[in-house]
Amino acid sequence: MFIITCPFCGERDQSEFAAGGEAHIVRPKQPTELSDDEWADFLFMRKNIKGVQFERWNHAHGCRKWFNVIRDTSNDKIHAVYKMGEKPPIK
Amino acid sequence: MLDINFPKFEKKDFQDLTLNLVEPINKINLRGKNRDFFAKAGKILSIMLPIDPNTSATIKNISAVWLSPDEWMVYGKDIDKNISLSLDNEISKLNLGSVTDVSDQWILINMKGKNVFDVLSKGSPFNFNKFKSTKNIVVQTLLNHVDVILHQNDLNNVNLFVRKSFSEHLWLWINDSSSFL
Repeated sequence: MFIITCPFCGERDQSEFAAGGEAHIVRPKQPTELSDDEWADFLFMRKNIKGVQFERWNHAHGCRKWFNVIRDTSNDKIHAVYKMGEKPPIK
Repeated sequence: MLDINFPKFEKKDFQDLTLNLVEPINKINLRGKNRDFFAKAGKILSIMLPIDPNTSATIKNISAVWLSPDEWMVYGKDIDKNISLSLDNEISKLNLGSVTDVSDQWILINMKGKNVFDVLSKGSPFNFNKFKSTKNIVVQTLLNHVDVILHQNDLNNVNLFVRKSFSEHLWLWINDSSSFL
């Protein structure tokens, strides 16, 4: 259990949120030009880092907005939270 | 406009806590972003939609509750067919935003008394420390794993909105929890 600061609602318990997987995955501009392997790579392959990871989260039981979180998966420490479309404050 | 088949919960009194079903009451969900949407909604409802997170605005018998940066719920005894039609015609039909009558989807339960937050804290992950001392504050959270909207329009006086299909279960849970006060 940990606390996430929703950029719209403020501090809330993790149970109000839904994890949406890795962030900043860019959709290919021309999917029809990709091979099956490249398309499958875009659709399914995700990093599963032990350490600092860029993730998407949804405040499912609150404002229902999506946003990005930089989280250390080894200890659930949250380094930053930022809105969709914004650049990550940490590289 | 209003469904008469809302649950029949009888008023209950516990130690420093009163539970009361406040139905039927009109509720409208508003969604929009642009300036014209705010102007039209403000003019029709005679109330400015709150833009600060977790806040509400109340004038007479109409309350506007912030749900997200582009979503509000407006409820109150003074919302009638004329207001609902005006919102439809001047916002929805002009594509300024969306207007949805959610009167039959949400059930309003009023909780009043010093022990309101003792009961809510039993089943909610939300920290009520700041909430309980602030008027016109709103929070969407979970209560006994059920989605709720809590609107405190006066101190120790909370309007709890719950989806109709969950209302009976939550009502029984609140009653049960309140009996242990």
